[in-house]
Amino acid sequence: MPDEFMKISESLSTTQPFNVSDSPTLPTLQPKKNTVLISHGRPPWYSEDGHRISDAFVIGVAGGSGSGKTHVAREIIRKLGSVPTVTILSQDSFYKYLEPEEQALAHANKHDFDHPSALDLDLFSKCLADLKHCKQSNIPVYSFAQHQRLPEKKYLYGATIIIAEGIMALVDPALRDLYDLKVFVQCDSDLMLARRLRRDVKERGRDVNGILDQYLRYVKPSYDNFVRPTSKYADIIVPGSNNSVAIDLICTHIRQKFDERTNKFRPKIAIPHLHFTSLSGTSTLESVEDLDLTILPQTPQIQGILTILRDKTCPRQDFIFFSDRLSTILVEHAFQHLPYIPWTVTTPVGVDSTGKKLDAQYLCGVVIQRSGGALEKGFKRVINTVPLGSMLIQSDSKSAEPLLLQANLPLYVRLRHLAEDTYVFVLDAQIGTAAAAFMSIRVLLDHGIREDHIVFVTFLVARGGGVSILRQAFPLMKIVCAAVDETMQEGWLEGYKGEGNPEGVGRKVWLMKPGMGQIGDRYYL
Amino acid sequence: MASPTVPPPPPQPARSTNLNQVHLDPLPQSVFTLPQTAQLEALYTIIRNKETSRGDFLFYSDRIIRLLVEEGLNHLPVVAKTVETPTGAIYNGLAFEGKICGVSILRAGEAMEAGLREVCRSVRIGKILIQRDEETALPKLFYSKFPQDIASRYVLLLDPMLATGGSAMKAVEVLKEHGVPEERIIFINLVAAPEGLKAFCTKFPTLKVITGWIDEGLNDKAYIIPGLGDFGERRYCV
Repeated sequence: MPDEFMKISESLSTTQPFNVSDSPTLPTLQPKKNTVLISHGRPPWYSEDGHRISDAFVIGVAGGSGSGKTHVAREIIRKLGSVPTVTILSQDSFYKYLEPEEQALAHANKHDFDHPSALDLDLFSKCLADLKHCKQSNIPVYSFAQHQRLPEKKYLYGATIIIAEGIMALVDPALRDLYDLKVFVQCDSDLMLARRLRRDVKERGRDVNGILDQYLRYVKPSYDNFVRPTSKYADIIVPGSNNSVAIDLICTHIRQKFDERTNKFRPKIAIPHLHFTSLSGTSTLESVEDLDLTILPQTPQIQGILTILRDKTCPRQDFIFFSDRLSTILVEHAFQHLPYIPWTVTTPVGVDSTGKKLDAQYLCGVVIQRSGGALEKGFKRVINTVPLGSMLIQSDSKSAEPLLLQANLPLYVRLRHLAEDTYVFVLDAQIGTAAAAFMSIRVLLDHGIREDHIVFVTFLVARGGGVSILRQAFPLMKIVCAAVDETMQEGWLEGYKGEGNPEGVGRKVWLMKPGMGQIGDRYYL
Repeated sequence: MASPTVPPPPPQPARSTNLNQVHLDPLPQSVFTLPQTAQLEALYTIIRNKETSRGDFLFYSDRIIRLLVEEGLNHLPVVAKTVETPTGAIYNGLAFEGKICGVSILRAGEAMEAGLREVCRSVRIGKILIQRDEETALPKLFYSKFPQDIASRYVLLLDPMLATGGSAMKAVEVLKEHGVPEERIIFINLVAAPEGLKAFCTKFPTLKVITGWIDEGLNDKAYIIPGLGDFGERRYCV
């Protein structure tokens, strides 16, 4: 993957420079340490049964202050090239909450930040374990300017490779257990001191005496007592300079581990009866009843709307209008899957009336871009006060595998303790190969959303398509649709020359019959 | 091309188990109600609550009105139509037949126009104002304005509250005078009192009524119990 396709999104405000008390207003020059890199999207990390097949690959990078840990981490990412998503997790985020007196010491430069007890290593390993197991994590944010852990948290999710770096990265046994590869960056003490001096003077504007004082009092003893001994746990010792050969070796190793984890997913589930036996053990297609779909009552109006939408001569303005109308009815219909409790109110006439009340503590929607956007208007007509997130899932132009390019999720989903009580409406135009549906459900489950709290709302479901595998993997989720189409047909899409596909190679596509065509194109283009 | 295998269309009269029958049993043949779901009950509970803010009242009553209009449209005729889909397949579907227009009974009926237009884009809407004559205490026509060709259209008559049914019955009479046959009128209504509904259906047995909820009855001031207060007042003024 050429470099121009690599999008780098820096973390928001995670690590402020190490400002000392006598110069608190210095500009922030240090590169942000916690970084999320996204290249061409994340391929499936689960198998057809809905279970996760691989953890994220975790690399621990330790070494003395100024040994070049950050440099090594960034070089690994650069040389790996087309890795899906990488998160660099810095130990700096996990400094403990400081009591007022400790904070005063810190501002006077007399708090020992180089001792393992300054770090919340339990929280570090808990966050890293969540990320490794493909869950979300909300990591703390530490401000060096205020010498305090800030009230906000930073949300991380979806990394395929995680690099945990910090001087104490190999100290804690719980942390060490999480690493797939342990790296220690070995560097001469005088080189490290020289780098530290130059960095602190140039970038942090501190005076040489102060730096040396701190070095002798905290940094050097800490390195000798805690950091250097952990080099014995490392799988690889990387020199702190001229280390490109060592980094090449590491990258080769990671690539090999990655190839072992690849799962060709979509071709298998697209037309399942070609590859799998059905739920009932026979090779016939699933019956509609087995799929447990909630289908709109086929009233004259619904059939009329579907006829208009399926007609290839339908003008765009009609397509938009009737999509909006159909999605409104669908979302209304989907509401039956939410819980209700009795509720008594007083009417303006002064009489009590016992009715019902929605009993879902948290409710939100997630649109699968692009074609799921065709249901957004209907969703907002029915629910106007809840968050509506989105996921961008696209097919790889060569392999046709679904790739998660972006997950922009509501707060209820991001925070695990709320996710358990949250109901999510997932909106997508159709379930054909079910690859995008599969991925979106997996993302929600990773976040701790209960499977029976997921309501998938869609126009069309292809009975011969991936829905039977989807249903088998997620028996408790609800699927609400307007109609069920009979077949999926394999086709061939001539590739167009473009991003990531310079030769214009064609690929397999799957068409729903009779279907509605490319709903996203018809709604938006 | 085989048409999709889906359950047969339930025509939605929902007569078998219907909460509405608690207050009117049996339902007149021409009365159709929405499926009695917990969610519909929850919507009604919100708009019945006198504590509900005007914004919520607007939003949730619009949701019910949309459901009512969708249900009302199901009683319009359709014809078979075959189309070719973008994937090249043939689909045997249905096409809508016949022209429609809305007629709202002022003032509360106007509140249903937005919901109607969301479902039927740029539909023509006539208006009718009926008030009680102070001398005779009978409903009297004060004003009406209809599309010129109303006699050739299906008419969706809009009035959210049906109490004694006096003004609704007067409105139907006016429409009939303009040449609209009774069976081409569909009355769309949010809350009905059993007394009024019975009188209305007895007088116009072939006119279809789509009502969202049938309440207990009327009090001595002819307010619907439990009802939801004055719909127009809550929608526009309070």
